[in-house]
Amino acid sequence: MTLQRILGWLGRRAENLVAFMLLAMFLVFLLQIVSRYLLNLPIGWTQEASVLLWIWLVLFGAAFVTRDREEMRFDLIYGSAPPRARRIMALITAVALIALFALSLPATWDYVTFMKVERTAYLHIRFNWTYAIYVVFVVAMILRQLWIGIRALRGEGPKAYDPTEASSGV
Amino acid sequence: MTLTDPFALSIVAITALAFLGLPIGLSMICGSVLYLWMAGLDMGTAAEQFLNGMYSNYIILAVPLFIFAAEIMNSGSMTERLLRFCNVLVGHFRGGLAQINVVQSLIFAGMSGSAIADAAGSGRMMQAMMTADNRYPPSYAAALTAVTSVVGPILPPSIPMVIYALVSDASIGYLFLGGVLPGLLMVATQMIQVAWDARRHRFPVEERVPMRDIPRITWRAFPTLLMPAILLGCIYSGVTTPTEAAALAAAYAVLVSVVIYRSLSWAEGYAALLTSARTSISIGMMIGGALVFNYVVTIENIPETLRTSLTGMDFSPLGFLLMVNIILLVLGCVLEGTAILLIIVPVFIPTAQALGIDLVHFGVVVVLNIMLGLVTPPYGLLLFIMTAISGAPLRDIVRDCLPFLAWMVICLALITLFPGIVLWLPRLAGYGG
Repeated sequence: MTLQRILGWLGRRAENLVAFMLLAMFLVFLLQIVSRYLLNLPIGWTQEASVLLWIWLVLFGAAFVTRDREEMRFDLIYGSAPPRARRIMALITAVALIALFALSLPATWDYVTFMKVERTAYLHIRFNWTYAIYVVFVVAMILRQLWIGIRALRGEGPKAYDPTEASSGV
Repeated sequence: MTLTDPFALSIVAITALAFLGLPIGLSMICGSVLYLWMAGLDMGTAAEQFLNGMYSNYIILAVPLFIFAAEIMNSGSMTERLLRFCNVLVGHFRGGLAQINVVQSLIFAGMSGSAIADAAGSGRMMQAMMTADNRYPPSYAAALTAVTSVVGPILPPSIPMVIYALVSDASIGYLFLGGVLPGLLMVATQMIQVAWDARRHRFPVEERVPMRDIPRITWRAFPTLLMPAILLGCIYSGVTTPTEAAALAAAYAVLVSVVIYRSLSWAEGYAALLTSARTSISIGMMIGGALVFNYVVTIENIPETLRTSLTGMDFSPLGFLLMVNIILLVLGCVLEGTAILLIIVPVFIPTAQALGIDLVHFGVVVVLNIMLGLVTPPYGLLLFIMTAISGAPLRDIVRDCLPFLAWMVICLALITLFPGIVLWLPRLAGYGG
């Protein structure tokens, strides 16, 4: 049980973090509007900071916060499939994703580390640091699908998408 | 193109993975990685396209901010006050509550860019009000809430239009303006249909609000009513970019809920942030996946190939638009709207351009199609949400949606045939197209 408690605690901290990233994005935008239109002092770094926050929000969130029910899918078939079929489907997709993501991992690593040659225009952060979250995302996705695959083998497939949990914004 | 062709295989892989239940964004990344591998290209390109695409497309930031704004409006008492105000306007008509549902969606549409947010927020309240004391059949209330929510992203602001602007490079400001008349047209047809239903089924009338209460109710709703005006004013006077306007909308919603209405607790504020973050992550992954996949589509030169073959077939612009309408309506029955916008629509854009179709007009037609897809079975997100909220059987909700759907198809046909309905307002504002 302790492992589950630790994971639960980490999960809530990850939630805190994405909520904070969205809040920070929002505040940075307000700062930009105030400085540009009220103080007549355009600042460049706000735009850069908000885009970086957005990238981190999406990739970090997809890796550690999103639950099965919130992921947009075409669940016309999955949603109505019986549990056994769901398990088989989940197993196939898990194997495919693990294989392809693992296959692309070395090249992804090369790309991200190669980006150390460039820095962002205003904040002067090296791109390999800002883009490192993509490597984290790839590894986390492999582990997550590994877990989904094992769970599908043992007992149940992931839950179907529930549009009342999170939408695609349409 | 044979089955061993990398591109054909990647399409097959994406379709298969998506239908087997892998999230759409991940399916697109997987299929694209497969393509890069088979074609002997650098597989790091997937990361490059995802990251650089997100980094350079600043306008997408409007999406999480609009989502956040709608979430705040739904948490505070803005929606509730709006409903009371609508009661003053149309409550005393026959079928008063049903008309309130239409009018509140119209005003809400001017503040929020998401049909789902409209249905999940004010729609939940409308459903409870309409079905209290058995005043309206639950399936009718649910159907009405679903179809009135559809107007949300057609009237500005609009998240689907931001996404369309991303894939087409059309101006968000003019797209927003282009949606105004079609949106009002749809609201008018909905009011007509409700009036007709109300007489036929003897729907109840709401008690007339006493004259002396009207100023107070209006005053209480006033800060909320001001929001669409501020938002559009900021965009069209050129004070802010549409992306910044999204941040302003959220800021205003926070200001009104916290300072003026004093109705947003810390816990509610945090919940609104977290829910918006979750939705933003879900949509962000789809956009990221589409950025990767669209790179594959571009190096395979698919949109250009389609353009050459379609223009070679002597399609008239109208014939092409009708074809796109039919394709999108059929796809809308089985696929999710944002995915259609991100994957299917970009393929048509070069052809539309070559045929001289205005991209703002095309965008509004496309978005209207996507919105119709939200209420067409078997796969209609708004239908699912209203089934979950109302508890009424999906079949009954679909049945009660049908007359409204017929009206929407008529509106769609009208704006397809007469681009002026879309373009009149943008042109008045200086649009050159």
